[in-house]
Amino acid sequence: MKGLKSRQLPLTIGLILATIFVVLPLGSAAEFSLREPLKNTHGFDNYVWFFEAPDFAKYLGISFGLALASALILLVILVPTVVWLNLGGSKFRGLVEFISLLPLVIPVVALAIGAQTALPDFAQTNEVILAFMYAVLAVPYAYRTMDTGLRSIPLQTIVEAARGLGADWLAVLFKVIIPVIRSTVLSALFMTLALSLGEFTITSLLHWDTFTTWVTTMSQSNILGAIALSVFSLVSVFVLLLVISVFIKPTKSLIISEEN
Amino acid sequence: MTTPEVTNLDRKGAPIWGTLIGQLLKALLALAPLLVFMSIFFFAPLTAVVLDSFQGNDGNFTWANYADVFKEPIITAMRTSLALALVSAIVSAIPGAVLAFLIESRGSDRLRQVVASISGVLANTGGVPLAFMFIASLGAEGAATSLLKAIGLDIYSAGFSLFTFGGLVLVYTYFQIPMMVIVFSPAIHGLRKEWNEAARTLGASGRQFWFSVGIPLLFPSFLSALLLLFASAFSAYATARAMTNGTIALVPLMIGNLLDGNVIFDEVNLAKALAVAMIVVTLLAMVPYLIIQRRAQRWQG
Amino acid sequence: MSSTTLSLKSVSRRFKDTIALDSLDLDVAQGELVSLLGPSGCGKTTALRIIAGLDKPDAGHVLVGGKDVSQLPPNKRNMGMVFQSYSLFPNLTAAENVAFGLAMRNEPKRLRVQRSQELLELVGLPKHAKRFPHQLSGGQQQRVALARALAFEPDVLLLDEPLSALDAQVRANLRDEIRALQIKTGTTTIFVTHDQEEAMAMSDRVAVMHQGKISQIAKPDELYHYPANEFVAGFVGQMNRIPARVEGQKLVIADSIANLHPLSPLQGGDGLALVRPESVNVETLRESKDVSNAVVVSRAFLGPMSKVVLSLQDGSEISSVMTSSKSNDFSSGDAVRVSVAPGSYLMVGA
Repeated sequence: MKGLKSRQLPLTIGLILATIFVVLPLGSAAEFSLREPLKNTHGFDNYVWFFEAPDFAKYLGISFGLALASALILLVILVPTVVWLNLGGSKFRGLVEFISLLPLVIPVVALAIGAQTALPDFAQTNEVILAFMYAVLAVPYAYRTMDTGLRSIPLQTIVEAARGLGADWLAVLFKVIIPVIRSTVLSALFMTLALSLGEFTITSLLHWDTFTTWVTTMSQSNILGAIALSVFSLVSVFVLLLVISVFIKPTKSLIISEEN
Repeated sequence: MTTPEVTNLDRKGAPIWGTLIGQLLKALLALAPLLVFMSIFFFAPLTAVVLDSFQGNDGNFTWANYADVFKEPIITAMRTSLALALVSAIVSAIPGAVLAFLIESRGSDRLRQVVASISGVLANTGGVPLAFMFIASLGAEGAATSLLKAIGLDIYSAGFSLFTFGGLVLVYTYFQIPMMVIVFSPAIHGLRKEWNEAARTLGASGRQFWFSVGIPLLFPSFLSALLLLFASAFSAYATARAMTNGTIALVPLMIGNLLDGNVIFDEVNLAKALAVAMIVVTLLAMVPYLIIQRRAQRWQG
Repeated sequence: MSSTTLSLKSVSRRFKDTIALDSLDLDVAQGELVSLLGPSGCGKTTALRIIAGLDKPDAGHVLVGGKDVSQLPPNKRNMGMVFQSYSLFPNLTAAENVAFGLAMRNEPKRLRVQRSQELLELVGLPKHAKRFPHQLSGGQQQRVALARALAFEPDVLLLDEPLSALDAQVRANLRDEIRALQIKTGTTTIFVTHDQEEAMAMSDRVAVMHQGKISQIAKPDELYHYPANEFVAGFVGQMNRIPARVEGQKLVIADSIANLHPLSPLQGGDGLALVRPESVNVETLRESKDVSNAVVVSRAFLGPMSKVVLSLQDGSEISSVMTSSKSNDFSSGDAVRVSVAPGSYLMVGA
């Protein structure tokens, strides 16, 4: 057991440092947002100010809606693709991986400008365009998590077994595939939420208003309040994530532990 | 599954290239959702930008925009952008790699999953919320600043400012390190336990194993992850904009400025040329990335 | 060769609630190849890993050449190990892989190159020195792994199911090669497997393991013909259990008389004798000129041999294995005479 402890020590230290690194800015921002300089105390004034601001619910709703929409788009597009890749289309894996990485490395600015030129009508008239663009931005991560999740099970074998037992493709999808990627689907959802709440470039360049742009505008008049909101949005995503993580069973490690 | 292709003919009797085309068609069908989606919402915009960048304000084809790219003040901005990307990539890659290693090799399945989820969220945290967070924590009036002052470290009197190159690097690490963890973990995951055990039974100490086998195997993946970090840092816009309000010259910010004040038509096209220049840089970073990835795949049996 | 003896003394290991090894004792002579044979979960791999130093026992000692190595880390034990698969270093050529152990011992380059070439020749891959593992087939990789494990003349060679991941044909060939190589180098060897045929064909002695203990350790033929307990009897090969009565040093079985094996658990009274199918003689009534004591139930063609299932007078079923040509004499429903090979020694259990 002595050996076990010394092995875990670096990990524990690393995790502690990482947690500090993550939490410190978040915590500080939280503290900052709770300041009330006029009254020289701490309180929820800033939050209240924002929650009572006329369009708060409206814009929050918009961003949430967009997040959900883009998550849905991602699922519809990626699930069949990743499933197919793992069921026999593996020759094209390299191509798909390359495509999936492009949004990560291509400047978002370029994308935003281009969207305006390339899809002028759609971009001007329908806010849903944002859902699609957010989805594009999330593709790198969503694809990677989904692919890793599906690769951790012997997919081909299971699907063939299910088919052999008489399941049609729909049943296979719901009974075999979805349970496996349930946790990655949720991860993807949280990601799009974080993205939607933080995305500014495309939104502003395409002249739409979401929670983020609204916060930026409001911040001109109340920087504390704006910070309060940012903190609020980030923390809630985190809390949701942690709560759900507790309830999802992790997918097993690729390297199966040795028999003893 | 399907009958093995023993003969060189498909059912209709067409020669082998028929089945190859058949495979390609099947692939196209399966990949259609992704391809269509990306074409409309990614490739089309990109193409538009590229095409427009060659347009002068009279609507004719011109290289003028690109000529401007190589003049001041753009060249300085380009240099700063490249430096920022490189520094933040390196500064983030090392802790990220170490953390990824510790979690993959010693963490439980659940820990790995939680970390993956949180990293996904953090890696996509950018722009406005991130900027606000850091201003709130490490700004002049920030909570963390006060905390450090309380224990005797007055960072501002020592010359620290969030609105400098260094400050920006610090802010970037917040989403770059999680990105590194996500991108590098698979490589560590692929490091088989048998290699370490075999090396040890052959007489290698831990250090010898890493030196002869472990690091050589991980290095290509590390390098490609670094390239990815570089490309994404280079392209970052929202965070920089929210943080710098004009104090640091960066290419994405220039693009934003050009677009904001765009009364003059050809400034818009200049912005597009700049965007294309950025794309070229990131694509150049992707080429070695692909090459390294392909090589690394072969090794991870 | 620097080979020596290997001993395990009272080695115990448990994982959470399961006992993997239960006070295991094992003595291996110099140059001997002992197989650890058993079903999954019996502890054979755990034992091997403890010998190698990749795992620490909760109690007990590992001795090599009489010296206690239990406290030594794996890289100080001078043992060569071959894993089931994927253990070659992908970034090194075959030759560099083979030379690795020597490199770790700081041997000069010339010696490493020479020895590496020697061993590659020994395993039949002289021209593959500069190939990388991903360019080699499964069988070739295992050969390189073997060469790598032997290159530095280890005290003990450990093989963890090295053939399990290979195709049947490759497996059979490699099996003989490994044994030949082991005899040639005279290296004390432990071979872990769940395949009986492998264990029997290769070993000087076979240790059958069950639930963390050695059920029986003996030479292959002894193990086969005289299993010491129910588990071994059931695990190794097929076994008939035929009613018999012990009378003194003999036993009456199927109307014939056989000798009672001295190690037999039952030394008197009625019991079940353990008889291998190939030791059950079946004759047509015309041949034996005697009265029938069994009826043919079925016949299965197994290639060179065939299995005939018979029903005895008390209703129990036994099987007999004979050449396929002989089995043609029997059809389902025939009344036949069953007996055991004269002069055989049989174990009788309750």
